[in-house]
Amino acid sequence: MFGFFKKNDFIEIGAPVSGETVASSEIADPTFAEEMLGKGMAVRPVEGKVYAPVDGSIALLFDTNHAITFEAECGAEILVHIGLDTVSLKGQHYTPHVSTGDKVKKGDLVLEFDMEKIKEAGFDTITPVIICNTDDFSEIVPVTGTSVKAGDTVLKLKK
Amino acid sequence: MKSFKYVVKDELGIHARPAGQIVKEAKNFESAITVACGAKKTVLSKGVMGVMMLGVKQGAEVEVSAEGADEDAAIEAMQAFFESNL
Repeated sequence: MFGFFKKNDFIEIGAPVSGETVASSEIADPTFAEEMLGKGMAVRPVEGKVYAPVDGSIALLFDTNHAITFEAECGAEILVHIGLDTVSLKGQHYTPHVSTGDKVKKGDLVLEFDMEKIKEAGFDTITPVIICNTDDFSEIVPVTGTSVKAGDTVLKLKK
Repeated sequence: MKSFKYVVKDELGIHARPAGQIVKEAKNFESAITVACGAKKTVLSKGVMGVMMLGVKQGAEVEVSAEGADEDAAIEAMQAFFESNL
């Protein structure tokens, strides 16, 4: 019924990694499954490369490089969290290519991670993509159950 | 206004999950609750980004303040949260 919005009515957030899209509720970590940090979705990566999901800037690259937040030009605050509980790796297997404050364009390579080593260390590499300022949007529509390439739309936001 | 100071003991500091938990806890109260660390400060009603951006590490001292009608209860709950989780 409400499916006939023009494409431009929505702000589109690209997949930061290539892989399979998954609903938040299926993430094996209550912080994300209960959307405690905001609404979003997750990508089960097939490649250890993280690209900027939007034009904007790096609001924060965690010291441990396992998570990165983007301040999008459209106003969205986006958290990309590579793997679950991966804060415990203390930076191992993550190679950032940006620093906090850097400007980025959608599709810029921002970070690489060694997917196999992270899995070997016993971690799930599923990558939640979260809109931290969920309350600033009237609608957040996740794309789930599909196969995406980095840059393909995974979240649609409406102010 | 009520406040307390706390030195973070958790070896991982305040990363994504605790940031979410702190903001969730603060939603139970009307009072404006702020967390400050060094020169940085954030109001919890503004969400988790501000908390993550404080970059609080193990050994860092934070000051949590609450101001509003239920500030006594709010500061008590925040103090209990920090002491049992961080």
